[in-house]
Amino acid sequence: MSQRFLTSMGGLAVVIAVMALPAVPVAGQAPAAAKPAAPAKAAPAKTTAAKAYTVPKTPWGDPDLQGIWNDATSTPFQRPAKLGEKGVLGEDEADQFAEELAEDLNRDRRDGGPEADVNRAYNEHWMDARRLEAVKDRRTSLITDPPDGRIPPRVPLSPERAKARDARAEANTRFLAGMPNDPEDLSLPVRCVIRTDSPPYLPTIYNNDFQIFQSPGYVVIQPEMIHSARIIPVDGRPHLAKGILQWLGDTRGHWEGNTLVVETTNFRRDDGVMYQNTDPDTYKIVERFTRVDADRINYEFTISDPQTWAKPWSAMIPWNKTDDQIYEYACHEGNYDIVHLLHMGRIREAAGETVPRPRPVGAPEDR
Amino acid sequence: MRTKLSVVVAGFGLLLAAVPVMAHHAFNSEFDAKKHVEFRGTVTKMEWINPHAWIHVDVKKPDGTVEAWMIEAGTPNTLLRRGLTKNSLLPGTEIKVDGYQSKDGSLRANGRDLTLPNGQTLFLGSSGTGAPEEKK
Repeated sequence: MSQRFLTSMGGLAVVIAVMALPAVPVAGQAPAAAKPAAPAKAAPAKTTAAKAYTVPKTPWGDPDLQGIWNDATSTPFQRPAKLGEKGVLGEDEADQFAEELAEDLNRDRRDGGPEADVNRAYNEHWMDARRLEAVKDRRTSLITDPPDGRIPPRVPLSPERAKARDARAEANTRFLAGMPNDPEDLSLPVRCVIRTDSPPYLPTIYNNDFQIFQSPGYVVIQPEMIHSARIIPVDGRPHLAKGILQWLGDTRGHWEGNTLVVETTNFRRDDGVMYQNTDPDTYKIVERFTRVDADRINYEFTISDPQTWAKPWSAMIPWNKTDDQIYEYACHEGNYDIVHLLHMGRIREAAGETVPRPRPVGAPEDR
Repeated sequence: MRTKLSVVVAGFGLLLAAVPVMAHHAFNSEFDAKKHVEFRGTVTKMEWINPHAWIHVDVKKPDGTVEAWMIEAGTPNTLLRRGLTKNSLLPGTEIKVDGYQSKDGSLRANGRDLTLPNGQTLFLGSSGTGAPEEKK
């Protein structure tokens, strides 16, 4: 194993914070110049020049996406700012980038002092080994649009949403301090309500597998984590009535050529349900699944919410076929940590401990 | 080329924070970086449960009394994929635990590093992952 360690401990600390508050991104850099609506398809020439792949069809004639797929990768969601608009690297550069990403993420190490070490108890043994592999098309970010590969700047929130954001930040501070007031100080993933099964599907540290099943009129996507299958009608029926709200929303799909296009609406209004705490009245997500090879699906999504970001943005994450099998992830089966954290909080309160002051809400990185 | 890129990407690690890495919870919310513990114990039970497995260990103290500790482990699906099975940590197995204790002083720790009597580091590999499947 290489001895070169490039990780910043500050970076790790922020990563840990993001674990519990995935909805708050690091601020995007300044907006790039206006560009055409079509997302940048940053792929090396040799991929685009590859001979056409004939997508297999199901017996009833739909493109066949069935199988078990894995989306783990080390390629960063947002491009490191210093790479600017360098969306695709040359082969030598890509090799080094991949090596440095793997070193940066690898937790089989003891440097960095106890504060870093305590969190690296989730060392590589607990992780999906494939998360240390960069995407093969040598991109520098999973985000394909805007051209800088970064989430667009946030727009100012309404007073009501700013208040909700502040409340979330305070709850998260109590959680991270190990002194939650009540179960609802713990986020929906920690409470095993929803997790990486809610769109968009993003790579995480483990359980990155998805199984796709199809039958006439339906596509079903079963993520390994958390415990739900997304049943997607592709028969043209309308969305549920506006008042019927669900944790994972209501998804409808249709085929555009060989691409499965899905739109999801009707999310519940509970705190933490909306991706990045977007506004459910204005949020829109369109996902596209295209089988580009026997062993790969390109999973693309475009997200917009004028109440959250200055403009829409898009990403592409390759789903690689795996011989692995899906295991059940019965998240709440032994979720002892809820009890541990609540019990611990009361003991520490009784001992006179207090929760550290939360960082100022509305800090620039929230915008 | 490689030197040049090093300059270009220096410090990119800070920006990886934007990737929504979701563990079930941050260990530093429950375990105390100031309470580093190292001890030897005997496995009494391993609970293969979601979202995290737990290893129960009896620890004999110098005065002869025994403390029952719980060591938090990873998600069972990943452990299985790494080659760990129900036979990997049978009751009676002696392990050395290197980790951090719960903030409230309870007898719980996260297993930063677990070592078997033959010196095999179970979870921290100096090469590869140390997973049993890689030891074959």
